[in-house]
Amino acid sequence: MRNSWVIAMRELKERIFTRSFIWMSILGPLSVLLLIYFLFQYGGTSKQRWQVLVTDPTGLLENKIYTNRDHTIEYAFLNTYLDIEDFKQGNRYQQYDAMVEVNEKVLTNKVSYVFYREKPSVRMQTKIQFNLERRIEELMIDQFTNLKITDFRRIKQPLNIGFRDVNDPTDESSDLRAWVGFFFGAVIILFIFLFGMTILRSISREKSNRIVEVLLAAVPARQLLLGKVFGIGLAAFIQFFIWVAIIGAGLFYFRENIFIDLSDAANWKYLQATAEVQQQIQMDQLFSAREYNEFVGLIYERIHFGVMLSYFFLFFIAGYFFYATFFAAIGATSGSESDGQQFVLPLIFILAATLLIGYFAIYEPESTLTSWASFIPFTSPMIVMIKLALGYSDGTGYQLFLSLLILTISALLMLVLAGRLYKNGILKFGHQVRLMDIMQWLKKDL
Amino acid sequence: MLSIQNVSKTFHRKFALDQVSFEIEKGEVLGLLGPNGAGKSTLIRVINQIVQANSGVVRFDGEIMTQAHVRKIGYLPEERGLYKSMKVKDQMLFLAKLRGLSSHAAEIQVNFWLDKMGITDWSNKRIEQLSKGMAQKVQFICAILHDPKFIILDEPFSGFDPINVELIKQEILEMKAAGKTIMISTHNMKSVEEICDRAVLIHQAKKIAEGRVIDLQDELKTGEYAVKFRGNMIAFVNALWTDFELIDKEILGDDRFIAKVRMRGDQGFEDLLKVLIGQVKIEAAWEVLPTMQDVFMNYVKSNSEGHEK
Repeated sequence: MRNSWVIAMRELKERIFTRSFIWMSILGPLSVLLLIYFLFQYGGTSKQRWQVLVTDPTGLLENKIYTNRDHTIEYAFLNTYLDIEDFKQGNRYQQYDAMVEVNEKVLTNKVSYVFYREKPSVRMQTKIQFNLERRIEELMIDQFTNLKITDFRRIKQPLNIGFRDVNDPTDESSDLRAWVGFFFGAVIILFIFLFGMTILRSISREKSNRIVEVLLAAVPARQLLLGKVFGIGLAAFIQFFIWVAIIGAGLFYFRENIFIDLSDAANWKYLQATAEVQQQIQMDQLFSAREYNEFVGLIYERIHFGVMLSYFFLFFIAGYFFYATFFAAIGATSGSESDGQQFVLPLIFILAATLLIGYFAIYEPESTLTSWASFIPFTSPMIVMIKLALGYSDGTGYQLFLSLLILTISALLMLVLAGRLYKNGILKFGHQVRLMDIMQWLKKDL
Repeated sequence: MLSIQNVSKTFHRKFALDQVSFEIEKGEVLGLLGPNGAGKSTLIRVINQIVQANSGVVRFDGEIMTQAHVRKIGYLPEERGLYKSMKVKDQMLFLAKLRGLSSHAAEIQVNFWLDKMGITDWSNKRIEQLSKGMAQKVQFICAILHDPKFIILDEPFSGFDPINVELIKQEILEMKAAGKTIMISTHNMKSVEEICDRAVLIHQAKKIAEGRVIDLQDELKTGEYAVKFRGNMIAFVNALWTDFELIDKEILGDDRFIAKVRMRGDQGFEDLLKVLIGQVKIEAAWEVLPTMQDVFMNYVKSNSEGHEK
C-alpha cells in the first residue's frame, strides 16, 4: 500500500503543479459564475435597448415616464393618434421597437396595448408594464388622493404570490429541483470523464515510453493501478473543492451585492437608504434578482443539502472508481497511445447518452428507462442525483441504496477486472487489440 | 543467491521459456545470452515477478521469490523509460521510494549517485531536456540507487558512447568487487568476456549452455596458438617443419609479425616455443581462444541445426 501511496502522490503532484490545472481551477469556476451572472442579468433580454413610442393623444401622461436611468428602455411621446399600419410602415417610426397606446379611458378601464415589431422578452414586457403602471399610479394618486407619492410608495409593499399545485402544495416536485439534481449529476459525470480521460492518456503514455516496466518491477500491477486511480482522483477532488468554494462564494457575493432579494424586508430598509439605489434596483434589477434568488433559494434552501451532498460524494467516489478503472483497463489494453485515443469517441457517446438520459429523467422521473438507468453503473450517478433532488416517493427509498450498492459492487468488480486487464495488457506493445486477447487477459493472470 | 528451477512460461500456447534451470552464486556476474526472442526478457520478467511462470520455481536466498524479495533487486530493463516531464532528481527520488527507501535515505542515495556520476548539474533538468545517453545514465542510476543485493542489467551498454560504456563497465566491476550479484543480458560479447564470470545461453526458450566463460571458450578451442615475433618469416615457417601448421599471419611492419599456428600430432605449446627459439625473436605467444561471439554463434547454429533435423 505504501507504493500505491508513493505513486498516488507522484500523480497528484504531476497534475496539480501544472499550469493547466491551476488555470482550470481558477478560470473554470469563474467562467461558471460569469455565465450565471450573464444568464440572470441579461438572460431575459433579446434586445439590449428598446425604443418605445407612447401615443398619448390627450397628453394624459404629460410626456413623462420615469425610467430612473434604466438604459435598456427609452420612451418617446406622440400626442396624436397613430394608426398601427402607419407605425408598421412609416419611415419615421422604424426606429421604435414598440408602440404603447394610451387613451383617455385608461384611468377607468385600465387597458392599454403594446404593439411590437419583435416580441419583447418577458422581462421587457414586465418592465414596460411596470413603468406604465407607476406613471398611471402617480396620476391617480394626484387625482384621487391627498397623499404624497413618496408616502404612497412607503405604504405600498410588494406581495409575492406563489402558484402551487394542489397535489404538491410545498412545491416538492418542481422542474427546477430536478434541474439542480441534473446539475449535480452532470458535475459528477463531467469530472469523472475529464479525469478518466487523464487516466487513459497517462497509462497509454506510460506504456509508450516504457517506464511501466520499471514501475512493475517495483510495484505489483494492481497497486500501481490503484495508486494511479487514487492520485488522479485526489487531483479531481481538489479541483472540485476549489470549484465549489469559488462558485459558492461567488453565489453568496451575487446575492448580497448584485441580485439583492427584494422580497426580504431587511433589504428594503437598506435600499431605502438611497433613493437612487432603491429605484435603480427596483427598475433594473427587480426581475433578475427575483429569478436569481429563486435559483439560489432553490440551491441553498429547498434542496436537502445535507442529504444531497452526502450522496453526491458517495456517488462521486463510487462512480469515479468505476469509470476510472474502466478507463484504465482501456488504456492498458490498447496497443499504443493513438490506439487509446480511438476509444475516445465511444466514450464520449457514453457521456452524451448519460446526459441525455438525465435530461429525460427530469421530465419522466418514474419511467422504466429512468428506473433502469438509476441502477446501471454507467448512468446511475447522474440519474440518482435527479431522483434524489425530486425526492424518492414513499416505499421506493430502498432504490437509492440499491443503486449505490450496485455501483459500489460494480466499481469493485471493475477494479478486479481492470487490474487483471492492466496486469496482462500493460506489457503488450504495438499490438492490434483483439477481443479474443481481452477475453483471455480477463480469464487469468498470464 | 538466485535459483531458477524448471521455469516454463507460455504465451498463446507457445513456449517463451521451456524448463529453464540455473543458479547464480552470490558475488558472481552472470551473462544471460541468447538471440532476440530467445526468452531472456521473459525470464527477467519472471524473476522480477512482472509475469508469472506457468511452472517452476524461482528462489532468492533459498526462499521462494516474493514481492518482498523483488525490492532487493535492481533492474535496468532493455526498453528504457522515464517520465519525460519529471526532473532528474525527482524521478530518482520517486523510484528510490518505490524500491522501499525512506525519503531521507532516498535523498542521501540520490545525492551520492548524482555526485559519483558527475551529473549533479542535471538535478533540476527535465528528462526531455537530456540527450539519450544522459537519460540512459539516469536510468542506470535509478536501477542501483537503492543499493540492491542482486542487479539485473538488460543491455546495459546500448545507447552509450564508448566513454560511457567504459564508465558503466567500471561501475559494474566496482559493484562486483563490492560483492553484489549481477546478471547481465547483452549482445555485447566483448563485455561478457571482460566482466562475466559465467554465462547461460538461451535459445528458442531453452537453456542450451551454461558454464564459466573460460570453460565455454575452452570447449570450443581448436588448438591454435599465436606468436608475435621479430625476424624472418621464411625462417619462422622453416622452423615449424612438419610438426606445426601455419594457418594465418599478420604483418605488423619492421619485420614484425603475428603468426597463428596449429599443432600436429602430440605437439604442445612448449614444443612450439622450443623450435622457434633461436630462429626468430619471440615477443609474445599465447593460446588463441574462441571469442564469446564464436561460442554464441556456434551454440546457436548447432542448436538450430539440431532443431531442423
